Amino acid sequence: MIDILLALLTIYLALQCLLAPRLPQTVFMFFAFGLALALAWVRLGAVDVAITEAAVASGFLGVLFLDALQDFSLSASPKRRGAGKDSATQPEKQGWTSYLPGVALGVGLGLFLLIALEATWKMPEGGGLTAAVAAQLPQSGVEHPVTAVLLNFRAYDTWLELGVILLGLLAIYAVGGVKLYPRHNNVADDPVLQQIMWFFTPVLFLFGAFLLYIGKSGPGGAFQAGVLWGSIGILLHLGGKLVFSVIPRWVGQVLLTVGLGFFLFLGFFFLARGAAVFEYPPAYAGLLILIIETLAAISIATTLTAIFATLNQENKKEVH
Amino acid sequence: MDLFFTIVIIFLLLNIALGLIRVWRGPTVADRLLTTQLFGTTGMAILLVLAGYLKQPTFLNVAITFNVLAILLVIGLVIVWNKRKGENP
Amino acid sequence: MSIKELITIILLVIGCFFFLAGTLGVLRFPDLFTRLHALTKADNLGLGFIAAGMALHIASPWAAVKIFSMWLLMLLASSTSCYLIARFEKEKDAPKNKKEEL
Repeated sequence: MIDILLALLTIYLALQCLLAPRLPQTVFMFFAFGLALALAWVRLGAVDVAITEAAVASGFLGVLFLDALQDFSLSASPKRRGAGKDSATQPEKQGWTSYLPGVALGVGLGLFLLIALEATWKMPEGGGLTAAVAAQLPQSGVEHPVTAVLLNFRAYDTWLELGVILLGLLAIYAVGGVKLYPRHNNVADDPVLQQIMWFFTPVLFLFGAFLLYIGKSGPGGAFQAGVLWGSIGILLHLGGKLVFSVIPRWVGQVLLTVGLGFFLFLGFFFLARGAAVFEYPPAYAGLLILIIETLAAISIATTLTAIFATLNQENKKEVH
Repeated sequence: MDLFFTIVIIFLLLNIALGLIRVWRGPTVADRLLTTQLFGTTGMAILLVLAGYLKQPTFLNVAITFNVLAILLVIGLVIVWNKRKGENP
Repeated sequence: MSIKELITIILLVIGCFFFLAGTLGVLRFPDLFTRLHALTKADNLGLGFIAAGMALHIASPWAAVKIFSMWLLMLLASSTSCYLIARFEKEKDAPKNKKEEL
């Protein structure tokens, strides 16, 4: 019964995200959608995903969206403009061919949805890979199956995910240019705001570290900790303490790449001993996974902060 | 007992659904922002009840995550949109 | 039904009542600032009752400490965001009392 209500709420929120008449409404609907989705993940038993979903969708993306909205002059929101004189210039000779891309996309997505439903409707016999993972769990160095799969059995995928995040940052740099960053942000004159930032920084740091180290035996891990630590960077950046202008540039670059680099190094290091790529010796596996996760969290945090700092910086140029 | 927990969770979900009316209707953006606060608090309550209902203490971590990130959203909006005064989105 | 379960149920019901009060306040109060009042106070109090009820139900001391500190953190975050929203709204222009009929 809870699940039916939650599913209906999620679908309703998703529709509202798309169809809400004003842009700020969509951002807040997206935040609520992130909450509903996190609850859905919790109901499905995937607590790791729930934490990541709550952290990324609600926290990080919410702030990014708000920052992007700042660029738009909201009186020119397209729904409202349609009522003005622009509607007279809407070409009426578009005909039915203009609907083809939308229809094709809709049909394609519908088919994909049907296929996905059919594939996941029945669980595979024997619980799928659960038994295989549980059999190998003692050799992986951690006690939580999700962390074992992500960081040991399929470490290759996680390494590439770190690479993808870094590529995203590089793409943002390529589009916007790297402007480092001496800009005075004069909003931080509010004592309560300053105090709350200085309070939340250690709290977020501690909670991120807690999630990182509990990833060994429970839901947690590098991504969740990385997003929380990235929130520290964003918080400091919003408060006027620009993180990237106080540290030397090479420190920032090292922090960005240390997760990916160390992971890469470790993956190929044991080739010399005759093991396969990304295969850790079971005796050290726990310690190695811990080191990898810590460095990966640092890298993710720095990347997220850099993404936010660059995007925030770029928008500021166009404030009229 | 389990039935009671289920009723509580459904009640809190209905609270969220009612709060959506304020997001849709609120005349200023601050109204929508305070509804975000409602979502955060109610979401935390739902996660707390779920943690007890399903006897999984790991859900509490999700609740803390939601807590600290709800305020990030508020701080983000307040600072980022302070630049444009005099415009009512 | 044992006494512990009875107290848990009572605490949860009180918490739900406060949540309902907060939501009704958000919907029906006439002005932004009054809505902020209703939401911040009532919802956090409801959360406190629900947290107390669940801490009683999950009878481990570590979880109880965690839940209590979570509630304190939520109080801090809520009060700060209430202040920030109010200041944000007040600085924009003179606060107009928009009468909202539901």
